[in-house]
Amino acid sequence: MFSKPNDPPMLTAFKDSSLVGMIALLIFSPISGIILNGYGFNTHPQTPIMLAFIVFIGRFAYQLAALTPWGQRLIQKFMLSKGKRGVYVASPGDQRYLWIILAILFIAGLVLPFYLSKYYLTVAILALIYVLLGLGLNIVVGLAGLLDLGFVAFYAVGAYTFALGSQYWGLGFWSAIPLAAAFAALLGGILGFPVLRMHGDYLAIVTLGFGEIIRLVLNNWMSFTGGPNGAKAAEPSLFGLEFTRTAKTDGHIPFHEFFGTTYSPNTKFIFIYLVVFLVACLMIFFFSRLRTMPMGRAWEALREDEIACRSLGMNHVTIKLSAFMMGAMTGGIGGVFFAAQQGGFVNPTSFTFFESALILAIVVLGGMGSVVGVVVAALVLTILPEMLRDFADYRVLIFGILMVFMMLWKPRGFLPIRRPYFTKEGQA
Amino acid sequence: MIVGKLKKIVPLTILVAGLLSGAAVFAADAIKIGVAGPHTGANAAFGEQFWKGAEAAAKDINDAGGINGSMIELVKADDACEPKQAVAVANRLVDNDKVVAVVGHFCSSSTIPASEIYAEANILEITPASTNPKVTDRDLKNVMRMCGRDDQQGTVAGDYIIDKLKATKVAIIHDKDTYGQGLADATKARLNEKDIKEVLYEGLTRGEKDFNALVTKIKAADAEVVYFGGLHTEAGALIRQLREQGSKAVFISGDGIVSEQLVTAAGGPQFVEGVRHTFGRDPLTIPDSKEVAEKIQANGYKPEGYTLYAYATTQAIAEALKNAKTTDGDKLADWLKANGANTVLGKKEWDEKGDIKVSDYTMYVWDKDGKYKMEE
Amino acid sequence: MEFHILGQQLVNGLALGSIYGLIAVGYTMVYGIIGMINFAHGDVYMISAYITAICIAILSFFGISSAAFLIIITLIVTIVIVSLYGWSIERIAYKPLRNSPRLAPLISAIGVSLVLQNYVQVSQGAKTQAVPTILPGVFRFGTETDFFQITYIQVLLVVVSFASMALLTYIIQKTSLGRQCRAVQQDPKMAAILGINTDRIISTVFILGAAMAAIAGVLVTLNYGSFDFSVGFITGVKAFTAAVLGGIGSLPGAMLGGIILGMSESLFSGFVNTDYKDVFAFSLLVLVLIFRPSGLLGKPLVEKV
Repeated sequence: MFSKPNDPPMLTAFKDSSLVGMIALLIFSPISGIILNGYGFNTHPQTPIMLAFIVFIGRFAYQLAALTPWGQRLIQKFMLSKGKRGVYVASPGDQRYLWIILAILFIAGLVLPFYLSKYYLTVAILALIYVLLGLGLNIVVGLAGLLDLGFVAFYAVGAYTFALGSQYWGLGFWSAIPLAAAFAALLGGILGFPVLRMHGDYLAIVTLGFGEIIRLVLNNWMSFTGGPNGAKAAEPSLFGLEFTRTAKTDGHIPFHEFFGTTYSPNTKFIFIYLVVFLVACLMIFFFSRLRTMPMGRAWEALREDEIACRSLGMNHVTIKLSAFMMGAMTGGIGGVFFAAQQGGFVNPTSFTFFESALILAIVVLGGMGSVVGVVVAALVLTILPEMLRDFADYRVLIFGILMVFMMLWKPRGFLPIRRPYFTKEGQA
Repeated sequence: MIVGKLKKIVPLTILVAGLLSGAAVFAADAIKIGVAGPHTGANAAFGEQFWKGAEAAAKDINDAGGINGSMIELVKADDACEPKQAVAVANRLVDNDKVVAVVGHFCSSSTIPASEIYAEANILEITPASTNPKVTDRDLKNVMRMCGRDDQQGTVAGDYIIDKLKATKVAIIHDKDTYGQGLADATKARLNEKDIKEVLYEGLTRGEKDFNALVTKIKAADAEVVYFGGLHTEAGALIRQLREQGSKAVFISGDGIVSEQLVTAAGGPQFVEGVRHTFGRDPLTIPDSKEVAEKIQANGYKPEGYTLYAYATTQAIAEALKNAKTTDGDKLADWLKANGANTVLGKKEWDEKGDIKVSDYTMYVWDKDGKYKMEE
Repeated sequence: MEFHILGQQLVNGLALGSIYGLIAVGYTMVYGIIGMINFAHGDVYMISAYITAICIAILSFFGISSAAFLIIITLIVTIVIVSLYGWSIERIAYKPLRNSPRLAPLISAIGVSLVLQNYVQVSQGAKTQAVPTILPGVFRFGTETDFFQITYIQVLLVVVSFASMALLTYIIQKTSLGRQCRAVQQDPKMAAILGINTDRIISTVFILGAAMAAIAGVLVTLNYGSFDFSVGFITGVKAFTAAVLGGIGSLPGAMLGGIILGMSESLFSGFVNTDYKDVFAFSLLVLVLIFRPSGLLGKPLVEKV
């Protein structure tokens, strides 16, 4: 701003950085420099000065780097991923080693829980639950292009179907999975119907509204859902064997007593992990097949150009509804596992709007529509906040910064969607 | 102030350097105790009370020689009052940090799912603040509490409304959360038992600031008493709006508003005058706790709300560890239930469920200077 | 139903609605110009509440107690600093994503929202903050016992909201800057070809939106007295709902949506049930959108082939 055109580049960089530093000082000063204390205040001038200095140094380093050729290359490389638009088509070679990699990953995933401590086990289960949720929302947002900000509703419905089902009708873990899936899908259909006329962000706010309505009803309907006191689901079991120290349901025997081993609290989580891992694998397989099937392609076609699709005689109502229901179903299954992972206790505070936003972040960060990307993003976004626990109070702050940074770094997501490659039989 | 500054700078430098592992090196024979509560999120103020209380207790116990020669080392665990995080953090405390006991959690909705984890790992958990009956009503041997139960608190409040205030028109408001609604329901149950039907029973939304519509409704119902189950943030705004609209109804709440922040939240001491709340017997009337409180205050932190409860909880855990000579959660709990513990809050004894035997809830009243004291 | 209670509920709704409207403007303008939901906007409003309190604390420290002076200085300082926030957020988190998929800035906004909330929590602490009562006093209508009232602050709130809305409408409709904004809104590429600096216009829109949030922040803080670092979220969601209700992209729509939302919350809560007031508000929104898919005052979406 106050640099002259014939200044040496170093000086320009310095002046520019000083300006940026000054703006940073102005921004940081009131909040971190003047701390409210009752109706008075204390001053902490060092903090904003230090923060502004960090910004100054960062900016200056960036400017200097831009002057050197290797720095420029680095910046170019960073910027490059942004310009690319459109859809990639996978090349035939991509598939060659895929099966081997998948098999290794699958076996690794199966063996993994036996080597994890219970803490990492719960985090891994949570990550897999978010993989499921991400996959579900991926259909709605990524493939069908319907922005859904209330996805948490189906997650809640799944969890509550299990919890209330076992409270009122003695529903078990295994029967809850298909039932929750069906129930969530039904709800998805009911909710999907009125919103079909809406576009883009109107749809977003209506779904947000539905999400909130479901949460509020769960919270307010004290006599049925238990309100904020939550509801208790049954212990997960395998052929009548439970994984607790003592059996909670009549007629069930604890796993360790049946096999005569010593009790380990890990067994239950290993069991949940294995089930959710298998279900997630099944879903990944299902959805990657679905994309190449007429249904999946109809979703993508509708996302790209709704009018063209309708003029070609495609029924947009069934296509959108199927996407909504399919996504809701997956969310419902995720809810059942969440209830099991929480030791059976579910409470409406687990299903706030922030949860929807997190799932959406998984889908976008993964690369809209890309199944592998969603899996990677779900793992990153659930494991990252746990890894940041060592930063104590700064944890969420850093998580937010990283979230912005990841988005700036990969605006199209970690693994942008690739269109499957097709050939005539016998060729390529 | 310099020290406070350093506290802020140190984590930042760690952050910048990108060191992911904890920096401190600890004595090998340290006894680890977890302090779990909301250290981030909207309820972080209560997490701070826990931490300051437990920190002071640990320091005092260590200065006095520790537990049979071993030093206490506290582990901070943040659940943000989210059940999801509560479970994760409980497992982390159990598995990674290998704690032998836990002081926590704060929100009942976090304590309940987390206690299942501690129960399976057989670790003693004592919550200084979760008053929901469900916390101890689930036959988990190792789960105890240092505070009373909502039903005890509700009874005290209900009787006070009937006997002392002789009020018949009571509006009951809650914040739709496990703690707030539980408390409101307990009071409502007591009132209904004594044949008083509330004129209004409604829930407000936590995090909102505008309760004017509700206040107008309370006025329209001619309530003489407003009973509120919830925390000080909402209570403050509610009180202010009540007074601004000219209502003179007596405002009564529970232990969730016990913080001088109620005064700031309400916009000044002129609004909180005459507000009442139930809380355990004032710890500051006990000489020991007065001394402790002064010591904490000298370090620049005002020991309000649950600070001394967290202190007492840490003491009780230490006493059990010292005398029962085991880390088995069930045995520690058995020992405490059999022998009780001498704490900063006086001698505490527990029943079979893990609840405090003698509930010492009494009514406090706020004066025009924004201070509360026990009502005579 | 007694008249004074209805009157009071209408006043409550009007005050609440004007706040929603002011904040909704920020959403609606940003949406109109770059088609993104700025999730961090609620937190910008939260920042302005803190700046307000800090400003009042400093002014009181220097012994200034004249209410008018306090409010005016606070308004100016808050608007300047919060606009700077709005501008920097746009530069750092959204501008690099200009040509990215449509949802990328949305996620980055969620990240910014987390950063702002936790930045404030880490520096200012988690406790509830407050400002002293600056302008006490009420207008009362009715008898000694049956009255409805409007406080001076509420009057100020409604007046300032409508005045700033009018000013903003004037800027957008009549000035050269406003014409440029509208041009960029309609066709950014064409506007750029005609020599409009679109980046600068987008920055301006963020600054205007932030300034409106700043005004809302000052007024709300004076009105309710207390706030903490998490107030931005609920208010943000409500204001966004108001923007959509009124027709996102339309300025008068934002204000109308805000008033309708405030009124319906207040009336439903006052005469039916507080527990379900949000359910009612969202159901109303769904109903309106079913019959008018572009909101009350939004232009019907023209489907281009």
